[in-house]
Amino acid sequence: MLRVLLSGLGRRGGTRGWAFRSWRCRLPQAGLLSATELVQEWTAVFEKRGIPEARESSEYIMAHVLGAKTFQSLRPALRRQPLTPGQLQCIQELSSRRLQRVPVQYILGEWDFQGLNLKMAPPVFIPRPETEELVGWVLEEAAQRPSAGEAQGGPLILEVGCGSGAISLSLLHQLPQSRVIAVDKGEAAVCLTRENAQRLHLQDRIQIIPLDVTLEGSWAHLLPWGPVDLIVSNPPYVFHQDMEQLAPEIRSYEDPAALDGREKGMDIIVHILALAPRLLKDSGIFLEVDPRHPELVGSWLQGRPDLSLDLVAVRRDFCGRPRFLHIRRSGSPGGCPVGAWPGPQPARVPG
Amino acid sequence: MSAPGLSRLPGRLSRAGPGPWGRRLAALLSPGAGVAPVQVAGKKDHPALLPLDEGELEEQFVKGHGPGGQATNKTSNCVVLKHVPSGLVVKCHQTRSVDQNRKLARKILQEKVDIFYNGENSLAYREKREAEKKKQERKKRAKETLEKKKLLKELWESSKSAPGETPGGSA
Repeated sequence: MLRVLLSGLGRRGGTRGWAFRSWRCRLPQAGLLSATELVQEWTAVFEKRGIPEARESSEYIMAHVLGAKTFQSLRPALRRQPLTPGQLQCIQELSSRRLQRVPVQYILGEWDFQGLNLKMAPPVFIPRPETEELVGWVLEEAAQRPSAGEAQGGPLILEVGCGSGAISLSLLHQLPQSRVIAVDKGEAAVCLTRENAQRLHLQDRIQIIPLDVTLEGSWAHLLPWGPVDLIVSNPPYVFHQDMEQLAPEIRSYEDPAALDGREKGMDIIVHILALAPRLLKDSGIFLEVDPRHPELVGSWLQGRPDLSLDLVAVRRDFCGRPRFLHIRRSGSPGGCPVGAWPGPQPARVPG
Repeated sequence: MSAPGLSRLPGRLSRAGPGPWGRRLAALLSPGAGVAPVQVAGKKDHPALLPLDEGELEEQFVKGHGPGGQATNKTSNCVVLKHVPSGLVVKCHQTRSVDQNRKLARKILQEKVDIFYNGENSLAYREKREAEKKKQERKKRAKETLEKKKLLKELWESSKSAPGETPGGSA
């Protein structure tokens, strides 16, 4: 069994060898390792190598190999059983990837979001836990304000920057009458969202379109699908100056275009806000943002009275940081819009 | 090395007093689709479990330093929930979702609080006794049925044997 473990290490070269040599000395004599014991060992290795979330990483990898989603959900008896050589090999390979700072979600190739299991693949952006609360807020709104569109089949939702499809698919899943138009400028994201939609049998209610909303006139491509009831987005909102401080997991493996909001993290946000009046019926825009954005977005909107949009609510995430924005057409608490602003402009494709 | 700002879970969580447990009301003030008090449907003769008072709970998540959100990739979705009046603590990492773990933690804590205050009268204990009682009854009935069958078989066997022979011959 040890030979299986160490031969794998040998192939990968010596630089990581020292961690495993010292580890080898501490293995129990009998050579039979249980899940709990091996998690301890790998946690120690990760800690020594400065891998963040050493214990969590070790536990998730172990749970995955044993067929569970989390280590805590494994039956205690299963955690004490000796691992098979096949399992040990698997853990070895996955853990080596973690030593290279690959995010756990990419190592496992899947992750959960709002109760749905989604395929994960680099470099497509990995859903963050905060974003589950964004979905929760949209669901609350959808419940309180049944849109006029429900007669024709539920709210029509536009998601900008769909990534793996997390937000779109969880909305579709929990709003059985809804339909979604999901756009992303990344090809890999469009493919992955398609794949996840099919895995979840939601492909009939979602249109996935490659689109860069920062390009001039991009909104025109969305007009054929009609005005939408609401827009939701977790747009790239990292301040450009903060990009280089991101952890290696993020910097080296996730698509920077999914993170970089350029100047003050606002670039994609303002493009979404600018296209909204042309596409939005009335409900509003729900965004996840950086905690510094509520103020910045508020001021920006005041400087753009032509858009007739108001920041109506800011919500905190579970860590207490201002994280989510709700923006609506001015003067619409709900119901039919007053004729103060023009309806969607006729399509006028420039150039 | 672990990132600074990651909350290390305290060892003796039953200790009273402030310590690292500031009230995390902010986290609870604007909850998301959130966490309503968990109601457990009571059985016919038993009242439902009392919902937990959010004001008596302290919740802790592992927080990275910095702005969080996109800037962090966190997989640690463990929730630690404390019921301040009793000092009971639940740590839940059953699912990969913080939201789900929060709900589960509340459910588990609700049951623990019930046991803590109601002891043998708690729902959990009552259900256990009921289940045990049913099990004993089933065993008893099964035993009785078996004995009846045995008796009938013996009577049948003895009525078959010729007159004058010893009844209850071979089994």
